[in-house]
Amino acid sequence: MEGTSSGDIFFLGENIRGFEKGELTQEIGIVFQDPETQFCMITVEDELAFTLENRKIPSSEIRGRIKAVLKAVGMEDFEKNKIHELSGGQKQKIALASVLLLEPEMLILDEPTANLDPVSSLEFIELVEETQKKRQMSVLVIEHQADDWIKLIDRVLVIGRYGQLLADDMPERLFTEQKQLLEREGVFFPGGYSNSPAFRERWTRIGPTEENVLSVREVSFSRRKQEVLKNVNMDVRGGEFVVIVGENGAGKSTLLQLMAGLLEPVEGDISLFNHPLRKWQEIDLRKRMGFVFQNPEHQFITDTVYEELTFGIKVNGYGEEAIVTAADELMELFHLKEHRHSNPFSLSGGQKRRLSVATVLDETPDILLFDEPTFGQDAATTSELMDYVIELKARGMAIVFVTHDMDIVDATDRVVVLKQGEAAFSGNPASLWEKGELLREARLRLPVRLRKRQWEGELYDPIH
Amino acid sequence: MILSINPSIKAFAVLVPGVLLGLTYDVFTPLLYFIFILAVTFTMTDIPILRWMKFFTPFLILALSFAWMTVLYANQTFSNGEVVFTLWNLEITTGSIQTGISLALRSLCFGALSLMFILTTDSTKLMLSFMQQCKLPPKITYGILAGYRFLPVFRHELEVLRQAHRIRGVSRARGIKGRVNQFRRYAIPLLANGIRKAERVSVAMESKGFTGDTDRTHYHKMTVGKRDWLFLGMMIGFLIAVFALSYYLGYLRIFGRKF
Repeated sequence: MEGTSSGDIFFLGENIRGFEKGELTQEIGIVFQDPETQFCMITVEDELAFTLENRKIPSSEIRGRIKAVLKAVGMEDFEKNKIHELSGGQKQKIALASVLLLEPEMLILDEPTANLDPVSSLEFIELVEETQKKRQMSVLVIEHQADDWIKLIDRVLVIGRYGQLLADDMPERLFTEQKQLLEREGVFFPGGYSNSPAFRERWTRIGPTEENVLSVREVSFSRRKQEVLKNVNMDVRGGEFVVIVGENGAGKSTLLQLMAGLLEPVEGDISLFNHPLRKWQEIDLRKRMGFVFQNPEHQFITDTVYEELTFGIKVNGYGEEAIVTAADELMELFHLKEHRHSNPFSLSGGQKRRLSVATVLDETPDILLFDEPTFGQDAATTSELMDYVIELKARGMAIVFVTHDMDIVDATDRVVVLKQGEAAFSGNPASLWEKGELLREARLRLPVRLRKRQWEGELYDPIH
Repeated sequence: MILSINPSIKAFAVLVPGVLLGLTYDVFTPLLYFIFILAVTFTMTDIPILRWMKFFTPFLILALSFAWMTVLYANQTFSNGEVVFTLWNLEITTGSIQTGISLALRSLCFGALSLMFILTTDSTKLMLSFMQQCKLPPKITYGILAGYRFLPVFRHELEVLRQAHRIRGVSRARGIKGRVNQFRRYAIPLLANGIRKAERVSVAMESKGFTGDTDRTHYHKMTVGKRDWLFLGMMIGFLIAVFALSYYLGYLRIFGRKF
């Protein structure tokens, strides 16, 4: 990759520059964040064999080693499965298995659970814990959220936004004595140490209006003969904050795309202000409904922040003056003024997120749909985004989120739980937290606020 | 049966008849070989006929349109013989009809051979065989395999981009300039993401100890056995037999030259 580096890195007392090509990688195993881009073969067996072939293990031994490592990660009998058909959590386990085959001295995990649902993520962490105990190797985890790792870790390093090492300490000391520093750098506090109020306590709640903005009636959807959604019903009222949760592959994003009119339901109806989506003119529909994608880059279509903000207004045929004032307001609100002439792709992660939200606000829509907007963001960016969202809600906009973040769920008006394509629950978060069995089945967890209380007495354990 | 033939040998057994048949300009030779390919396809593989038809239809349409164009606009050398009928000002002769039908049959042969290969060959095994039998460097074969996994990912990305642009009202941009800009808008994020993903995969491969070294063990040993040579012999042997028969009967024409 491009860039320059200076300084030295030593592995077991030896400068890593002194290692032969491929020699070091056999000592240090890495699991990456994105489950889609760590494999080069089609089946599990071939992928694992790839590692062993690289190590020149005699072919007669390969089968036995594959079986053993699959057993170690709890994926027995998956040899012949195709990798792309596995769930995110299973893919990460295979990724871990394939680096364990290197029998490394050290394991580096680069946000390995970022793409996983809450329970899969917890399962992966337990697997790492187990493996570490058995093999006694060093493990380095790169993470935004230290929460679930906290009982495993001996030491935490904090890297500041300008790339300098800010702290290196035991978690106990770091999270109690260095609070100011961590807050300034936008680091997530693990639940046990956090005394900043949970999202739900930071916002004054304004109840939704009675007006029905969007209604989903008996909607079913299938993709290539496979049923994704079955007979789903839900309503979104004015100024209401609704979240859709569920495990990976439960149909959350599909439901959101259906609500945005990006997909057509096979059966059932979706209406905006009691008017079926398919009868809306595209141009009017987009004025009243905004959609923020998981990856902000997908939404960028021009070369500067200013053009990006004015694109929609221009297309809708407003005068020059209206365009300038609207753009100024949005840049003010989202702190993008000094980036007016920057290319959207060159912004930082948080700025991209803000811009992608700003671009859908040009026409004051009635409803905003967000597909995992806080995915891969640090604490500061997440809480900043949530503050904007709550302000928009206060202005009467209805908000719909798809998310895995249970602390966000905790702060909303209503949760819809999808389980294998069906709406298994719809109600306020407080009543969801009481349904232990449902939480387990839908692979969800309690928010930090409630888990904190449980640290003394384990009431609900999502796995066992 | 063909399923288990070594992919490199199979590729060779399909490529040689494909190329040699391309030289024949008569009707008899490709027709006979085409019948042979069909016989092999339906007796020695278990491809369902309907599935085969689905893939073959485009080849058929293409072949027919080739034939029709050739009949109408045949080269002077081939448009000899009696005039069968005239269409507007174009004289359709027996020679041009023959050339047209021959071209269609050759295209069909090529199509049927390709299908026989594609429908019975696993992409992973093909690459492993290229590496083990043809000594293709692992960097290339594993690179192709990794790239192959990207195809569905790209399709998904394009779909998401279309949706995102629809939300932004891009389709509302009018005129040729708007269209050009639209293409650019798709291309840049797709390429940027493609490069990023490729980089990630290559880092992941390297971290699994891949160095591109040709000295590696092989979990799936791709071997060439008697059956593979027999298959190759059969495909090429029958081709020679067809050429010989066609020569003996006086039909054989190569590049318009009669033998």
